[in-house]
Amino acid sequence: MARLRYADAITSALREEMLADDRVFIAGEEVGQYLGTLGVTSGFLKEFGPMRVVDTPISEVGILGLGIGSAMAGLRPVCEMMRMDFAMVAYDQVINHAAKIRYMFGGQFKVPMVIRGPSGVGRQLSAQHSQSLEVLFAHVPGLKVVMPATPADMKGLLKTAMRDDNPVIVMEALRLYFEKPDVLDAILPGLSEVPDDPDFTVPFGKANVLRAGTDVTLIGYSTMTIQCLKAANILAQEGISAEVVDLRTLLPLDMATPIASIKKTHRAVVVQEQWGLYGCAAEISAQIAERAFYDLDAPVQRVTGAFVPMPFARNLENISFPSEHDIVIAAKRTLGR
Amino acid sequence: MAKKPTLDLTKYVRFYEQMVYIREFEELIGKEWNNAAAHGMGGYMHLYSGEEAIAVGLIGGMDLAAGDCFIGHYRDHGYALAAGSDPGEVMAEICGKATGCSKGKGGSMHICDAARGFYGGYGIVGGNVPIALGLGWALKYRNQKNVCACFFGDGSMNQGAFHETLNMAQLYKVPVIFALENNGYAMGTSIERSHANQNLRSRVDSFAMRSVTINGQDIFEVHEQMAQIIQEMKEDPHPVFVEFKTYRYHGHGAADTPVTQSTYRTRDEVARAKDQLDPIKFAQEKLLELGVLTDELIADMQARAYASAEAAMKFSDDSPYPDPSELIKDVYA
Ligand SMILES: Cc1ncc(C[n+]2csc(CCOP(=O)(O)OP(=O)(O)O)c2C)c(N)n1
Ligand SMILES: [Mg+2]
Repeated sequence: MARLRYADAITSALREEMLADDRVFIAGEEVGQYLGTLGVTSGFLKEFGPMRVVDTPISEVGILGLGIGSAMAGLRPVCEMMRMDFAMVAYDQVINHAAKIRYMFGGQFKVPMVIRGPSGVGRQLSAQHSQSLEVLFAHVPGLKVVMPATPADMKGLLKTAMRDDNPVIVMEALRLYFEKPDVLDAILPGLSEVPDDPDFTVPFGKANVLRAGTDVTLIGYSTMTIQCLKAANILAQEGISAEVVDLRTLLPLDMATPIASIKKTHRAVVVQEQWGLYGCAAEISAQIAERAFYDLDAPVQRVTGAFVPMPFARNLENISFPSEHDIVIAAKRTLGR
Repeated sequence: MAKKPTLDLTKYVRFYEQMVYIREFEELIGKEWNNAAAHGMGGYMHLYSGEEAIAVGLIGGMDLAAGDCFIGHYRDHGYALAAGSDPGEVMAEICGKATGCSKGKGGSMHICDAARGFYGGYGIVGGNVPIALGLGWALKYRNQKNVCACFFGDGSMNQGAFHETLNMAQLYKVPVIFALENNGYAMGTSIERSHANQNLRSRVDSFAMRSVTINGQDIFEVHEQMAQIIQEMKEDPHPVFVEFKTYRYHGHGAADTPVTQSTYRTRDEVARAKDQLDPIKFAQEKLLELGVLTDELIADMQARAYASAEAAMKFSDDSPYPDPSELIKDVYA
């Protein structure tokens, strides 16, 4: 076991897959000579050369087109978006093209590509650089959407994404990138641990019970899973035993694991970083209502970000997305406290 | 050049002072970045040092009070200051304070000043360029004798949006100045490594748009040429693409440290630019030579600029953060 930061897990997955499969290449802005905007591809250009580590102009449409076409032609591209917000510039390539090609041509082609990059709130990056837009991708058949919360999942899910034969959107939690292993392990012992085995992967569509509990189920993904773990720690001090379920992938979505947990706890809180309206937490809550209504002792609670563009001022930013305290309050509400 | 019009030298002294002011403002932010959190600064921070003559000379050639307007990208403090925005409000925005021009909700990248026709700084590369088309369209729609300037960097020219916009702007003959600030780099990527055709001005030839290349370090050239072009645009609405050659002194943003900068440019290159291409030095030498500036005047302006930047910082420091109730305001009109 190695104790890694989330960013190191990305590097490790990318590097191992590039070594294992020479069809894999990376394209994006500042991925090569600049050593990566956030350093995850540091040294890659030197190690793999310019055909496999492609520095591009600021042309997201071009980057994704390069990916889609070369994937159709048998390569396995990893397209880096400097930030996932910038994928919006090339949304057409993802939604109208990458997601459609398999079905629209009756299964004749496949598009084995990864679109990855940091996502979600950072620190004072303001309205155009703080969004967590997973719902825009998770709504679309033909795509897969991965949102890892832990270094091990980051590595294992990214490797699975790179081996998958479909377009996979890997949304990396910017807030977690450089969190120190000590800090993670203080939230939950072993949280920063990543298996050394080069064949270690994490399958899609298998949620993970990160912490067992009996009173209430906290369901999250990405940064919000970590917030749930922090909330569970606070609840424990107050004698409330919370189970934390990390969804890991939104598409495919594993509802069996959270529902099994709810059958035990009879209460659920679903947490999502960004806007709640029509969001992933709404979908999950609806499925719980459909499949576990009679197991519930209280209405499902959602905790979501404020329905506003991200403000710049630090004090406003801090209250715009869910804190562990918001989750604690929602959990207590399910318990009538 | 046979009959060069005589220069309005008092205007250039004013421009000189504005450039000094922007420089001091940016350098103060650069210095205070060590203390960013205490001031409320954070996130990205893109400084304009080295490029001042473009904003000052071009915006100085527009009549904002009469309806001329402009839009920019995230390296936007200089635009506002050149337009005469309140420096305290600009600094307060950079620090996320309630008294900021965008109420602390936008930050450094999203300065604006509606009263002065500044339609804002935008953070998505190339994203502001199509909006300029609409601003120009509105001017033409209302038969206004006005122009709109759109500032963007060399990186923007590799966005599809740029090319769609220029085609439409020429097709509809909108009075927009597409002001390319060509500082040689988009973040850590040089022109050579990102443009197949490195003659950026010639890239717009395919739209049959009027274009010109201007030394962006020479306030006299910037202003004289732009004043002439703006006048012609007002008489006969049409778009113009202007390539300003310039250089940025600081890293791309605060995160672009000397270490990361070493992946794409040398310290020597930066030092040489500061020595040989500085717009303030250039203006200063010429104005001294012309006898309208003196060493005392220069020292005086410098001191005033520094004091004024400090005063802006103090105004910001004394200002409160936005009230939490602000969070949900201004989502809709
Ligand atoms: C669509 C998009 N892609 C990437 C980025 C990240 N980014 C911000 S500024 C920048 C460089 C832009 O350089 P340029 O346009 O030359 O302007 P300069 O910073 O040199 O003034 C990059 C890559 C972004 N903001 N938007
Ligand atoms: Mg540039």
